[in-house]
Amino acid sequence: MNFEWTDEQQAFRGKIEAFLENTLPDDWEEFSKHGPASPALTEFARGFCRQLAENGMLFPHWPKEIGGEGLGPWEQQILAEVMWQWGEPRGGQYMNVNWIGPTMLKYGTEGQKAKYLPQISSGEMLWCQGFSEPNSGSDLASLRTRAQLEGDVYRVNGQKIWTSYAGLADTCFLLTRTSDDRKKGITILLVPMDTPGITVRQIPSLIGEGDIHEVFFDDVMVPVGQRFGEEGQAWEIIGYSLTNERLGIPRYHLARAALDRAVGMLKDAGDFTGDIVRAEAARCAALCEAARTSIYAIVQKRVDGQTVGPESSSARFATVMSERAVCEFIVEYLPEALAGGSAFLQMHHQRGIVAGIASGAAEIQLNIIASDVLQLPREPR
Amino acid sequence: MLLTLSEDQTQILDFIDSLTRPYVGVPMHDTSFALTSDELDRELVEGGFLDVAGMPELGPVTAALIVEKLARLPFAIESAASALVRPLLDPELPRPICLVEEGQLRKPVRFLKAGATVVVVGATGVRSFTASEAQVRDAGDEVLYAYPVAYLNEVPADTRLHELSADELRRAWRVALAAEAAGLLAAALQSVTTYVSERKQFGRPIAAFQALRHRLAEAQVLTNGAYWLAMRAAGTGDAGDAALAALHAQEAAKRVGYDYHQFLGAMGMTLEHPLHLWTYRLKLLTAELGGRGAQAVAAADAIWG
Repeated sequence: MNFEWTDEQQAFRGKIEAFLENTLPDDWEEFSKHGPASPALTEFARGFCRQLAENGMLFPHWPKEIGGEGLGPWEQQILAEVMWQWGEPRGGQYMNVNWIGPTMLKYGTEGQKAKYLPQISSGEMLWCQGFSEPNSGSDLASLRTRAQLEGDVYRVNGQKIWTSYAGLADTCFLLTRTSDDRKKGITILLVPMDTPGITVRQIPSLIGEGDIHEVFFDDVMVPVGQRFGEEGQAWEIIGYSLTNERLGIPRYHLARAALDRAVGMLKDAGDFTGDIVRAEAARCAALCEAARTSIYAIVQKRVDGQTVGPESSSARFATVMSERAVCEFIVEYLPEALAGGSAFLQMHHQRGIVAGIASGAAEIQLNIIASDVLQLPREPR
Repeated sequence: MLLTLSEDQTQILDFIDSLTRPYVGVPMHDTSFALTSDELDRELVEGGFLDVAGMPELGPVTAALIVEKLARLPFAIESAASALVRPLLDPELPRPICLVEEGQLRKPVRFLKAGATVVVVGATGVRSFTASEAQVRDAGDEVLYAYPVAYLNEVPADTRLHELSADELRRAWRVALAAEAAGLLAAALQSVTTYVSERKQFGRPIAAFQALRHRLAEAQVLTNGAYWLAMRAAGTGDAGDAALAALHAQEAAKRVGYDYHQFLGAMGMTLEHPLHLWTYRLKLLTAELGGRGAQAVAAADAIWG
């Protein structure tokens, strides 16, 4: 066991940090208050991700044959940490890096890989994730958006909600129902968002403009070649992709950066002298670092080529605890942060408050830990 | 960054598994609150398991792994201070090693007995002495903590002054505390999950009720964090890491202790069930080094100045 970064890993982090410092505009912190899914940040990200791609920093962990640098999971984690610490200048394209790309590699047809991977790896493509529905949140397998095969075309009808990036995405990674066989009746379609019959409505939110939407599908016609995987294979595929997604955002890292920034502001104001505020800050740091080390233990499993199991839910819940503590600390000791006092801390807050919901409610993570880590007898259903 | 066990580490932990096998099962013990075994202690010393921190190829992380592992046993063994603090002072100091803060003589001291090495840390630095019969006061038969404890009557005038700074001693103490607490937390959680998976009410195991499941799942998250923070603190030798690890361990201990006994119902109030052997050691650990508030302030000092 060794808890130090290697010289190469430190250099890699330094390279990305230097690139961001040189590339991001001077008013980046103010700008980053726009949510990752805002029109402003999405537009920015298209150019920015192209620059990252040109400099080998968009997919350094991808195999060389598809445009990556062949670096390992530690480098992927370092990249994600630096990006998220800066408020995710890749916008919604972080999803491509974290899970759409890997999932495409594993499950896409040759035709789909040929079509999408170049677009993804050039840093031009934005996806949205058509999962949740008004009556299917945590109980995702109850989803009802119907895809009826008519000849070689699926007719799609239904509604999605909370869909991030829907307003500006090129393509929707859409979960549809093709039979009534609950988990086995769900099928993935890759649907261009400019297909006739799709209506997107934005939902005003606490987390920044453009972040969550309703998406309506009215007789949307999708060629069968746009099906991803087999009919009924969606549950397996999203299980694979969610394992990546759950680790994908290093929230502990931004939380820690926000905590350090908050402490710096308190010190400047002469308000970081009492034991109470100092102890509270340290508790937040402990939770951030507990989350970090828990996540790192899982990254190590990836490095070793082991399957990542339910322990990713445990690490993710640790991350939620850290985000929550830091968000609460900042509001309690620096209330001005959410009222124009700090663009960076407001950005953090708006990213942070979704930690317990995004990519699966925290309570579902607890269910998974109880059943699959602690191996407790299951609840009756 | 490499978070897997080395071959040596795996082998050592396997050795400990074999060696401690006879001590894993808890005897339905009599009315004693703490379990100790001189024989187990002797075997660990003879095997050199408490001396690995000073060996360059093994080091403090291996020592912390051993301490964590031993803490899972129902038996209380003085391993943490011996394995993680003693090597920094003098590897030949007689065991048990008892760590005491200057001016805190009202508090019970773990493993204290005549012949033990008492290490006192405070404003005057780090001093040690071998406790005499007259300096040790028995704590009686009804100590609730699952450690052997006694009181120290006095710090004698004639002590040995060590070169190690008080800050460095406290750092190592925090690592020792965190590693031991991590093992205790893991064992207590295991003990509770076994019980609630078997105990039935309303026609099903009580572990099938979400009220328990979620709290146990949160406890698992904290326990996992305590383990990794302890190992990282041992590995980096950083004062901030040590304080965070001790803080997180003490926070976790406080958070889960009452719950665990409550989940066992009245069985959790008995000496018959072994749970208290871990939780009541944890309770005493929450009082070390001034408790979690003091750990938090120490962490803030180390991290932010």
